[in-house]
Amino acid sequence: MKLHRLFAVMRKETREIIRDRVTLSTAFLFPVMMLLMFGYAISLEVENVKLGVLDQDQSPSSAALIDAFAESRYFKLIRHYNSELDIRKSMEISEVKLALVIPPGFNALVGRDNLPEVQLLIDGTYSATALVALNYGMSIVSGFKDRGDKLIKIQTRIWYNPSLQSVIYVISGLYAVIIAAFPPLLTTLAIVREKESGSIQQIYASPLTVPEFLLGKLIPYGFISSLQLASIVALGFYWFKVPFTGNLAYLGIAGLIYVFCNVGIGLLISTITNSQLLAVLLALVVTMMPSMLFSGFVFPIYAMAEPVQLYTHIFPARYFVDLSRGIILKDAGLTEMIQPLSLLLGYTLFVFFAAVAIFKKKVA
Amino acid sequence: MNASEELTAPPSADDTNGLEGVIVTQNLCRAYGDKTVLRNVNLSIKPSEIFGLLGPDGAGKTTLMQVMAAILDPTEGSCTVMGHDSVKEAYWVNSHIGYMFQGFALYDKLSIEENMRFSADIRGLSRDVFESRQERLLKMAGLFKFLSRPAGNLSGGMRKKLSLCTNLIHEPRLLLLDELSLGVDPASRKELWDMLHESRDDGVSIVISTPYMDEAEHCDRLAFLHEGEILAVDTPESLHRRCTGHVYELSTDDRGAAHNALVAHQDTLSIRHLAERVHFQLHTENHIAEDLEAALKQNNGVIEPVSSSLDDAYTMLSGGEKSSAYAERPPKIHLPERLPEGGRIRTEGLTVRFGDFVANDHVSLEIRPGEVFGFLGANGAGKTTFIRTLCGLQPITEGDAWIGGVSIRKEHRRLRNHIGYMSQRFSLYPDLTVAENLNFFGGIYGLNRSDRKKAIDWTVSVTDLGDVKDNLVADMSGALNQRLALACAIMHEPEVVFLDEPTSGVSPAARYKFWQLIQTLAEVGTTIFVTTHYMEEANYCHRLGMMHQGRLIGVGQADELIQQLPPEVGATTIEDMFLAYIKIEDQRLESLGFEAEQTS
Repeated sequence: MKLHRLFAVMRKETREIIRDRVTLSTAFLFPVMMLLMFGYAISLEVENVKLGVLDQDQSPSSAALIDAFAESRYFKLIRHYNSELDIRKSMEISEVKLALVIPPGFNALVGRDNLPEVQLLIDGTYSATALVALNYGMSIVSGFKDRGDKLIKIQTRIWYNPSLQSVIYVISGLYAVIIAAFPPLLTTLAIVREKESGSIQQIYASPLTVPEFLLGKLIPYGFISSLQLASIVALGFYWFKVPFTGNLAYLGIAGLIYVFCNVGIGLLISTITNSQLLAVLLALVVTMMPSMLFSGFVFPIYAMAEPVQLYTHIFPARYFVDLSRGIILKDAGLTEMIQPLSLLLGYTLFVFFAAVAIFKKKVA
Repeated sequence: MNASEELTAPPSADDTNGLEGVIVTQNLCRAYGDKTVLRNVNLSIKPSEIFGLLGPDGAGKTTLMQVMAAILDPTEGSCTVMGHDSVKEAYWVNSHIGYMFQGFALYDKLSIEENMRFSADIRGLSRDVFESRQERLLKMAGLFKFLSRPAGNLSGGMRKKLSLCTNLIHEPRLLLLDELSLGVDPASRKELWDMLHESRDDGVSIVISTPYMDEAEHCDRLAFLHEGEILAVDTPESLHRRCTGHVYELSTDDRGAAHNALVAHQDTLSIRHLAERVHFQLHTENHIAEDLEAALKQNNGVIEPVSSSLDDAYTMLSGGEKSSAYAERPPKIHLPERLPEGGRIRTEGLTVRFGDFVANDHVSLEIRPGEVFGFLGANGAGKTTFIRTLCGLQPITEGDAWIGGVSIRKEHRRLRNHIGYMSQRFSLYPDLTVAENLNFFGGIYGLNRSDRKKAIDWTVSVTDLGDVKDNLVADMSGALNQRLALACAIMHEPEVVFLDEPTSGVSPAARYKFWQLIQTLAEVGTTIFVTTHYMEEANYCHRLGMMHQGRLIGVGQADELIQQLPPEVGATTIEDMFLAYIKIEDQRLESLGFEAEQTS
């Protein structure tokens, strides 16, 4: 490895990046657009979930429970039923999402040792919001139960995202997805473009070695992608008011490793493709799409089937979703970070060395 | 890393390990899957020579270059470069040569200086050495005043010169140049060659590949490459000599009859239809069989022996080419009403401006129906704008042009079905078969079912595409694509056909076939308008027009144009003639107080 050659490639790449509007907008404009779009579009918020009630007890306690639901901002009481059959019909036409069934004798049980039972029926068509709505419903019920028991109002406490704003949850995971989407794309194109124009042949027929050439690409693209990450984290903090409780240095370290991991994936893709079109498709299919589905940024990994959970480990985005949420929302320290961080680092090194091994200074 | 990686001083003669050649290939073969691209290539390239690899597209030139640059491994045999094996010591070879790929392998976003700098930096050149060499090279290339201009904003010729300079900056002892002058106009080509000669005189060995015969003449030695095999290696002069006494030209009133007589005779080696004459080669030396001579002398035929060209030598060595019967004339199909004046093209004071830039400056020209008209001009001279205007694709600023008596300004829509256009990048659909492409274009031109069948049958037969009718275009060679593109452009029997460098890169055999068909079309009154950089193609044209900075600076027959030049110019070839006219025009403009612009 000769530093003067490495620097020559880095200088050349940096100039090309700075002068190319397409590259610059892909690096800075698109991620911001994606953050804004997804930040607003993906909402796990459950407000005013339509609620129906079948009160078979018709007692003061049952009325109080119904009031507790109706007064919460999560639910909106729109119907009283007379029979279970009505509930079914009503749910079929999506008139209500959630139905509360209070059995006969509820009043008599409240305040005793026996647990009073109520039934919550939920439309599970869209499972993510259904789960959230159900959780809200249960917390109201348990709150009510506790109140009846001890005559003290105990509030349910929700951790990490106290106002239960889904935007905070979404955005802190979205950083991982955005970095999995654009940096690999840019890096892949940077090499495949040279293959298409033929300028790569000049590189082959020169004293540049493979690690020099690849590192010379990796470093400038890694740098520009780090700025990209910084810009979206800042946007999340200032615009979406994502609280930052953790250590900025930790996020910096984790972010840097994650960024280089993704740029490395881009390099790896470019070593096996020869056309820009194929490179773009491949980059989207192996990085962005799976990182949306399998990173846990919206769809919780613990809710996935066992084999799928295992599968998620091959996408670095999942580690960074954990890391960024951990640092930003939970003030995670080194002990919590060490495992995902070392996996990520290993991943990065593996990807780079694989690219070096595959990349040959030969046209065929 | 290892020591061989170090950049040492330029290799001395000892580095050749006692082998005489700078490059020695032994039984070199290269295959891609089942397809053999190079077969048993044995070459030895001497120090300080310009060695040309001549052959059409697909002959294996680029592959051979890549093997020599050690960026492609041979499947069999070996290649030794300056005493180092191209497979085992690929890195050494990579580090010590200059290699230029045919495209414009520059970084468009980087300036001229930055491109030079990159090439120097990856080879560890010190700044002082770099500065002095850069100045010398770029001055020689006429690029020094544009140091900070991005490479993407340079013309084709300037880019090629810059590419060459980025390869000369580290002063390699061996330069491999793949199609150096692809897409370069004659003026720039001359400057490139001047630079090559200077390097050679400094002791650099140069291997250059080209599909162009006229360029190959400048090499010290040549190898003819044909379908992956070396046909011959020799100096251009000796190659000429091989077919001296075999080559004749005939002027006759009936080309078709002469053609068929030649095809029928066993002595005939090749037939080439030039604008005014038929050029042919015989197996016999200094002798024409009596029966053939008698047949050719009918219809006022006059036979003359002529000096041979590299084209003739290549054709002879590759086994000759007798195309089949003379192309049939087009069938009668239900054409839209014919234009009042047929294929006559006339422009009067035609001017096209883009803002302040004058692309065509008061061009007045008349081309009669049935004429093959060659249009010469450097890149950016305004040729493309002129054609686009004639095709009705470009609004006219001033003046007017007429095709067949119809004003383009007023009624260009009426001309649509009367024009055929074959562009350099053949606009075919690669995922359709030959027949499907033809059917599609027939549909576009509005031919009805029976006419379309007639037209397709005829074009397929005259372009010899019958055997490949059901092949996908994507799988076909350049020469076949070129013929199909022509078929698509002529199937609706247009009065005017525009061709843009139609035969660059195809084999002589394919080129002869192509031009024979063009002459047939001209005989039935079709006007053929050809733009080209290649003087070889100019031979097939009745008259030539030359454009420079948007102005028409000369029109006439090639020999007339040469005669009109002052004798001290000493122009003998069309290329010299063209360059002389440009020089005269630049001097004229200068005397009028215009600064001659950089047009190369």
